[in-house]
Amino acid sequence: MNLPPERISMEELDLLCERRRASGASLPAYVGPLRRHVAEGDRRLLRLQYDASPAAMRLWSFLLTEEERLHAARAAGVKIVGTMKDLGTVPVLAYALPNVVAFYPDGAWWTPCLMELSDGLFRIAQLLGFGEAFCPVRAMLGAFVNRAHFPIPDLLTCSAGAVCDDFSAIAQCVESLGHPILWWEIPHRRPPEPDETAVELPGGFSAPASQVAFVRSELDRVRSALEVLAGAPLGASELAAGVAQANRVRRSLAELRRLAYTTEACPMPALEMLIAEMLAIHFCSDQAETIRVLADLTEEVRRRVKEKHGVLAEDAARVFWVNPVADLRVMNLLEDCGGRLAGTEFLFSHALDPIPEDLPPMEALARMALADPMVGPSTDRAARIVRDARAFRAEAVLVSRIPGASHCALEGAVIARVVREELAIPVVEMEVPPVADSMMPTLRSQLEALVETVLERRKR
Amino acid sequence: MNVVYSSPFVPPEWIAAHGARPERIRPESGAATRSMAPVAGMCPYARAMIGEVLASHDGEVAVFTTTCDQMRRAAGWVALEAPAPVFLFNVPATHATPAARLYLDELHRLGRFLARLGGSEPSRDKLAAVSESYDDRRRQLRDALGILAPREASEVIAECDRNERPRLQGACCSLPHGIPVAVIGGPLMRGDARVFDWIEEAGGAVVLDGTESGARTLPTPFDRRRLRDDPVLEIVDAYFGRIPDAFRRPDDALVAWLRRELAASGARALIIWRYVWCDLWAAFAARAGELAGLPVLDLDVSGDEGADRRTANRLQAFLEVLR
Repeated sequence: MNLPPERISMEELDLLCERRRASGASLPAYVGPLRRHVAEGDRRLLRLQYDASPAAMRLWSFLLTEEERLHAARAAGVKIVGTMKDLGTVPVLAYALPNVVAFYPDGAWWTPCLMELSDGLFRIAQLLGFGEAFCPVRAMLGAFVNRAHFPIPDLLTCSAGAVCDDFSAIAQCVESLGHPILWWEIPHRRPPEPDETAVELPGGFSAPASQVAFVRSELDRVRSALEVLAGAPLGASELAAGVAQANRVRRSLAELRRLAYTTEACPMPALEMLIAEMLAIHFCSDQAETIRVLADLTEEVRRRVKEKHGVLAEDAARVFWVNPVADLRVMNLLEDCGGRLAGTEFLFSHALDPIPEDLPPMEALARMALADPMVGPSTDRAARIVRDARAFRAEAVLVSRIPGASHCALEGAVIARVVREELAIPVVEMEVPPVADSMMPTLRSQLEALVETVLERRKR
Repeated sequence: MNVVYSSPFVPPEWIAAHGARPERIRPESGAATRSMAPVAGMCPYARAMIGEVLASHDGEVAVFTTTCDQMRRAAGWVALEAPAPVFLFNVPATHATPAARLYLDELHRLGRFLARLGGSEPSRDKLAAVSESYDDRRRQLRDALGILAPREASEVIAECDRNERPRLQGACCSLPHGIPVAVIGGPLMRGDARVFDWIEEAGGAVVLDGTESGARTLPTPFDRRRLRDDPVLEIVDAYFGRIPDAFRRPDDALVAWLRRELAASGARALIIWRYVWCDLWAAFAARAGELAGLPVLDLDVSGDEGADRRTANRLQAFLEVLR
């Protein structure tokens, strides 16, 4: 079925889903109309605009059925690992084991948005003393307390050290509620000194060999805990296979990003790209299916590129987006205002870069963990943004501030400064709350001004 | 060479043994405006520390630590803004042996940094001797703390931190009377010790100063035999191994310290001193009531001029409830 690319409402996407099923197309069991999730409380879905493709339908269904998969896994006796904060490293270890799935309780940060605050997670967090001064990831606390979302994991891990204070404090509260955590240290990444052996990390940063060795030893502690949980060894061959599988996801995403962010006629909307990129972190609790979902999406994008079918106006302002938004609707808003994505840095570029396969797997994973843009200096992260924004020919950079997040206060200013110096393109910072309806006029004004500035600069 | 820093996890004896003058400072709140750092979402203490360091003189070196996210990033901000050398000391959050080894490696890296700037690497005997002298000074300080009024005690600690000889002569017992309260939390800025006076004026008596600037963060006394055998390991143990703080994961040591010290002090209430946007102490404040079994005042301070009245009023209201 060749549909003209456009953005459609949820009702239209559901209609598309029903037609696909009626036509006898083979669909995974989890694919279904999104209204079933609205009935369960995900009311934000009614206000979003979606890509009009079966691939997007599959992507959304896959995302929104993760909790069902986790509960089914629990019922089937599969061990569940809750990996917190590291955004992409520990799941590679966990999925290398049989009978283990991993997910991020952190992902609950989008629940208040999806449920338009009807979930009550922030209220529970507030009762525990975690109010609006904390990042929206505080919703995770509520989910641990009310147990209405993800199942309580059999093992919880959390990286500590060079991490956001919000997250560290919230995770400490989770532990104090009776959920033991295996804390592992991720040190602040620093440049190697003249007398130190330097190691190049995925993504281009470098670190002293001593830091890599330290992280490797910390990940070894995690590996041991996973082996005990699974009752199975996690040797070099299993790990190598796990790394190879994770790289399949990353390669698929790299191709999708290349096509989506460089093609003149934008072939995939921002919102679906955000969701697709998120899959790289934890595979939405089904690694094999993630690969198929991304393959579908990439195939759709390839077809559109070949047919020169874009989903947006061809002159849309090319915007590089920094940090994930707490309110998904704002990704639609960018496009409503005449912009499009031309590159992203959603806090986890280390989960997108290929993991070296020519190294012992634990060494490769340690290098990957240290490549996390959040554990190094803000100037490193800014340099990576400059490099990627240049590669994707971005005409502006938008730093989406996460309300209350400890890293956002200074980091945005550093990124803005470095980007302006290096690329001489406009940079704007805007704060996006989990449900941004009341701020939409302000956000719209900011985005429209950014787009206008970009279009004006083209005339020079 | 003057080395300014604010974290209790930076051992001054280490800096002194490397031929530099350590100065642990309490930044002045007004220095924040010099930082040029954004205000929104930014810890006032971190902004003030940036401002202090940017205003520092030639030949001064700054040491920041990774004990909180904002100070970690503040080091990067200073490095962008100032030509003065900045060292970011990686203090691990976890407790396991590898983390202690990482702290030890960081000490050595700090030593090499100081040596490159004109300092010198000390012999084992020199390090032990310098450490003994600092330990002696802290012993005198500890002895005096028990007979000083809370504000005086805090100011004497600050003098000691600045590497000045503390005014211990003539110290006499002038302990306040009132409702016994404990104050725990983050660091004080210059002049903030007046909060102890406000508590007294409101009818309280501070029986435990557990702020980052108080006795909580003094390293444990050195074991002199171990110090002579391996001074570096003894320093690691006394600082990294023993100072309880809110950033450690898990924070069991702080919880144990709190329960022990509260019981010993006889405090009837707990005041949490923290800066706005300080997630670590805000989170601890949320659990403190249950941990301590006492009434808690979560005192968020902004460091702004004019905010003092609000702080004093809140203290007064809290103590009135306790009467």
